[in-house]
Amino acid sequence: MVLEHEILPYFQWLLYGADESLGALPRFFLIVLAVALLGLLLGAIVNVARHGLLRGGDRIYGIVATGFRELFSISPRRTWALTSLAMKEAWRRRVVVSLVLYLVILLFASWFLRTDNQEPAKLLLSFVLMATTYLVLGIALLLGAFSLPGDFKSKTIYTVVTKPVRAGEIILGRILGFSLVGTVLLVVMGGCSYIFVIRSLDHRHTIDASSLVRVTDREGTLIGYDGRTSTDAYHHHLLELDTEHNGDSAVTSGHYHRIEGHGEQVRVLEPTGYLRARVPKWGKLRFKDRKGVDKAVGISVGSEWTYRSFIDGGTLAAAIWTFSGIDESIDDYLDKEGLPLGLITRVFRTHKGVIGRPISGAIQLRNPQTGLKSDAITFLAKDAQVDDQFIDRELPDSEGNTIDLYNDLVSDDGELEIWIQCLEQGQYYGYAQADCYIRLPDGSPLWNYVKAYISIWVQMVIVTSIGVTASALVSGPVAMLFTVSFIVLGFFREFFVWIANGPSWGGGPVESLVRLVTQKNVISKLDPGPGTTLIQGIDDVLQFFMQGLAQLLPDFSALSTIGFAAHGYDIPGDLIAQDLTICLGYIVGLSVLGYFLLRTREIAR
Amino acid sequence: MSEKDPKSEMVTQAGTLDSPAAGAPPAAGAQTQETDSKPVVIQTRALSKVYRDFWGRQKVRALKALDLEGCQGEVLGLLGPNGSGKTTTIKLLLGLLFPSEGEALIFGKSATDVSKNERIGYLPEESYLYRFLNAEETLDFYGRLFDMPAEVRQQRVDELIRLVGLDKARRRQLQEYSKGMTRRIGLAQALINDPDLILLDEPTSGLDPIGTREMKDMILRLKSEGKTVVMCSHLLADVQDVCDRIAILHQGELKELGRVDTLLTVADVTQIRARGLSPECQHEIRDCIARHQGELLEMDNPTTTLEELFLRIVRDSEARPGQRAKVEGQESIARIQG
Repeated sequence: MVLEHEILPYFQWLLYGADESLGALPRFFLIVLAVALLGLLLGAIVNVARHGLLRGGDRIYGIVATGFRELFSISPRRTWALTSLAMKEAWRRRVVVSLVLYLVILLFASWFLRTDNQEPAKLLLSFVLMATTYLVLGIALLLGAFSLPGDFKSKTIYTVVTKPVRAGEIILGRILGFSLVGTVLLVVMGGCSYIFVIRSLDHRHTIDASSLVRVTDREGTLIGYDGRTSTDAYHHHLLELDTEHNGDSAVTSGHYHRIEGHGEQVRVLEPTGYLRARVPKWGKLRFKDRKGVDKAVGISVGSEWTYRSFIDGGTLAAAIWTFSGIDESIDDYLDKEGLPLGLITRVFRTHKGVIGRPISGAIQLRNPQTGLKSDAITFLAKDAQVDDQFIDRELPDSEGNTIDLYNDLVSDDGELEIWIQCLEQGQYYGYAQADCYIRLPDGSPLWNYVKAYISIWVQMVIVTSIGVTASALVSGPVAMLFTVSFIVLGFFREFFVWIANGPSWGGGPVESLVRLVTQKNVISKLDPGPGTTLIQGIDDVLQFFMQGLAQLLPDFSALSTIGFAAHGYDIPGDLIAQDLTICLGYIVGLSVLGYFLLRTREIAR
Repeated sequence: MSEKDPKSEMVTQAGTLDSPAAGAPPAAGAQTQETDSKPVVIQTRALSKVYRDFWGRQKVRALKALDLEGCQGEVLGLLGPNGSGKTTTIKLLLGLLFPSEGEALIFGKSATDVSKNERIGYLPEESYLYRFLNAEETLDFYGRLFDMPAEVRQQRVDELIRLVGLDKARRRQLQEYSKGMTRRIGLAQALINDPDLILLDEPTSGLDPIGTREMKDMILRLKSEGKTVVMCSHLLADVQDVCDRIAILHQGELKELGRVDTLLTVADVTQIRARGLSPECQHEIRDCIARHQGELLEMDNPTTTLEELFLRIVRDSEARPGQRAKVEGQESIARIQG
């Protein structure tokens, strides 16, 4: 699973933010202030140009003063009336057809999904969550962008605005109404898709009891059976059963089966472990280079994506995670004592080696206070696989003495270092901070699924809010295009910010266009001259506006939690709380903006 | 209503169709005299509206410096041909449009002030209602917009549905309604808040004669309850029947403003209506007119209006179903104009 940004505790995120950045709340107020000032400036220019200095100024004052007064006189009854109306309107617009479409997608999904996939749960979860996201965002887009313009076109808005309805109530009522409709759709979709996933993953194996190999001890006494299950759903499981034919199968494709023996009959129960909600406890990552010198990052193997960096095998290079808050209670949920670790390793090979054979590595535990280190525990790393490791509580140190994990390797303030090295020369391991973690007790997969849907809900509400707000000013198709632009830019927000923040290769938007047309490469400088100065000047202005716009864009890729659910990781509560707060911020901000947009337009034009 | 009927007060007031100077719009002050005894409900001061295109270029000047006042308890009609600025005036009064110049005040507040809507009812030209709602839902929705509590709302909905005669169709969606029924529910929504000022845009548009009469009766009833009604129409008969005062607009300009009875009075013509005159008596009257150097313009039996005839037939048909209507058109009323 990829986790490019650290998930901060909720209140730290809200008030203080990460290093060198503002908390969400002060940032929200700053953005609101900037937008308000910009709106005021634009409004003043337009009004003064149309009505002269005195009358224009008077109008602006009137709008702002009335606006503030009306914003605090919103009536819940009126807002609920408009919310109910929006819901009825959505129902009338046959929004339920989307459910039929969704069911059709699920019905025929098995035609297109590779059932021989090694991680079928990941594939199915990604598919249903992605399909739900796109479908619901599409519905939110259409409902949000075309509702108010529809009222303007049919002139039904006349009979609404001539009642004591505040413009903010019209906007808020629409947002809430469509969000509630979307919520109902999401609940139905969530239920259907969960059943679809469970049913798709369900399968049974059989065991031919006569094929089981008897396992005996030295004296020839039967101690169990070895064997394998039948091949179903493109896989089989190896078995180690007791003398009564009871036991668990080996884990294959992310799941196992409980085996029950009834005399000579052996029964394989339903798959277990497909859907998980691993709860990781993350540490801080640092590196050592091939000479054993501390580095913030490892080496690059040429990948443009710098999320992971690499350590070279057969050298002193290591990836080191420091975990804090470690004590004996960490393994309380297990029936054995030790440290449950989760590890994801990206393997980069500079020579082929034996195809299919994993690359060997070593794990060491170290006390950051005393420097005491455990002996190396070797493991085999398969590329990009989640590897569940368990470190016994009692383990040898480098001199062969037995040491206690919690008493000897954890510092007085609860810190523990985990060192990972690649043992094979010419091969590389790649890690990011989220790739090694201590496994806490798993969360509920069903609740995790619900949380994934909550994050889809958040995206839906934001899209609805943008659509409704835009439609307060412009026609339906224009509002839709505007909202689509927001969605697209929101999904590629990081790239957009990267362009806006420049300097980037190839210059800003205009310079890039010139390079495209003139087929110039992105490295060489443009010929100096007034043309180049003009182009770069325009780019500077554009980049300034892009930076401003970037502050308003919702980061849809960050709001999405599909990665967590699909890879079987618990979606942190802090992240959900942050998403919901962001959603609330957009609803409030866009309702206020929508109020002023609706208030300043002529309804009957 | 405690006040006397303004019509009876103003019989002797001057003001014929040709009384103001031709081409000069009448000043608002002229009618202030007539109305200053009652609170002013609507007031426009040099109200102008220019429609512009996207680039701000003038497309049409819909209203030119309109000065108008409407007082409590009167029915004010805005009369004019299509495109004369009637609907624009109504929209400016409602705040649906912003004035290019001048201002519109309702109950002393700016037309753009939302709080004025608490006391306003508006029936638009086409009853722009949500067609997927039924009558009850429609009125309940608009009641909620006035922040009315549920019990009050329910009571008001029942009253209004009965009032506009839609009791049997209260659960039908508006998309199944006829034009007349839509106008009725439109009127009901305009009255949901028991408004003090009702603005009606072409209230009889699309209505059959019965509906038209009911609408006119309703307007007179509202007036009798002390409510102010502003209506615009290009149907002269409707305006004449219900309005106390009219403002005639043409090409965005106010051309005439005054009491209906005064405006329609032809000062130099006398009309006598009598029943049961013998031919000898009629002859005597003719002689009398001639003796006094009067010119007899017309002496005949009056005809009823087609509207009256139609309504009488329908009522008769309802009273005696299955029988041919009995028309009583031959009243012996002699009308003399001289």
